[in-house]
Amino acid sequence: MLLGWTSRSRHFERDALPHLPALYRMARQLVGAEAADDLVQETFLRAWKYFETFDSATNCRAWLFRILRNVWISRWRKSRLELPLTETGDEQIEPYYDWEDEFLRDEMSVEVERALSELPADYRLAILLADVEELTYQEIARVMECPIGTVMSRLNRGRKMLARLIRAYAESTGSNPKPEEFVRRKP
Amino acid sequence: MMDCKNIREVLDLYVDGELSPEATAQAEAHLQECASCRRTVDRLNRLRQAVKATVGQYQPTSQLVARVRQSTISPWARPAIWVPAVAVAVLIIVLGLFSPQIRSVAASELEVAAFHLDDSRATVMEGKLLCRDCLLKEEYGYQAMCPTRGHHGSLQTKDGKIWQFLDGQTSEELIHNSKLLGRTVRIHGRCFRRASSIEVDSYEVL
Repeated sequence: MLLGWTSRSRHFERDALPHLPALYRMARQLVGAEAADDLVQETFLRAWKYFETFDSATNCRAWLFRILRNVWISRWRKSRLELPLTETGDEQIEPYYDWEDEFLRDEMSVEVERALSELPADYRLAILLADVEELTYQEIARVMECPIGTVMSRLNRGRKMLARLIRAYAESTGSNPKPEEFVRRKP
Repeated sequence: MMDCKNIREVLDLYVDGELSPEATAQAEAHLQECASCRRTVDRLNRLRQAVKATVGQYQPTSQLVARVRQSTISPWARPAIWVPAVAVAVLIIVLGLFSPQIRSVAASELEVAAFHLDDSRATVMEGKLLCRDCLLKEEYGYQAMCPTRGHHGSLQTKDGKIWQFLDGQTSEELIHNSKLLGRTVRIHGRCFRRASSIEVDSYEVL
């Protein structure tokens, strides 16, 4: 759809710009506070450039998250050392049998944030898109460019890993926790 | 109806609202009867809420919002407007600063451009003949060369605007005959409004 500049500008302001806060909080979790502004700005620049390709019948927020993910992968992720996820049996779901004990207190934002930052990035992204942005599995699959089954397994494993990390940090309050001991342990 | 094993395998789908209505109804029927599974669902929902509350506390600064708007929908982000405008401005500044000769040529070119851009048309104008240089001397202290070079006739219309006569055979008298100064004249010709100039086809002294 070809739009005149004024019309394009009006549509962009109406459809894309309201999602700036959502993109910012996602960017902050992916690249940290220092680089979040740059990631957001580059995402919107790219979105503006390709706005003609956006299908207005679809979810603009999901479209923007997909662009943000692509920018993040091309500019930030490759510069960070990270263990690859084991994709073997990626779509297996493990039942929640070990969730009987209490591991969340009322004020745990520090522990939650720390645990989130230690999650493998694909688990973190899936959890944020589902729990914070409340996208459907179908939309998350489009953003992450993977099958729905992979979204399900990433959420399943990611939440379990997150809970273990939070529990470990909470238990180590007052000591010197070693987060690397808790990450990427076989779920 | 679901049992504990069934529901714990689809717990993510249940809390994320991805189960079919039938499966959701079965899951809820089981949860009503099973306190252990209810606790597990409660833990999972609390974890989701904790993530949302932790991540949601951050907001973009007003500077970032302004920067994004500036780089996307702001009129200044529109290349068709600002690129040529800036290019012309830079060109004029460079020409004006570095070369008087070029500046003169550029001025002439701009004048020609102004004539081309103008909506010129045949018109009849009436006004008083006055010396342009003397008027500028009176109003702005311009050092007029009239005593040595002679007056320079121009047309002042009733609205106070001063019009220049373009050089031509017909306009020569109007420009250089100082005896006509102060007389009211009617000009037939073409008017170039942006250049405040008149091309004279004929005139009559009233």
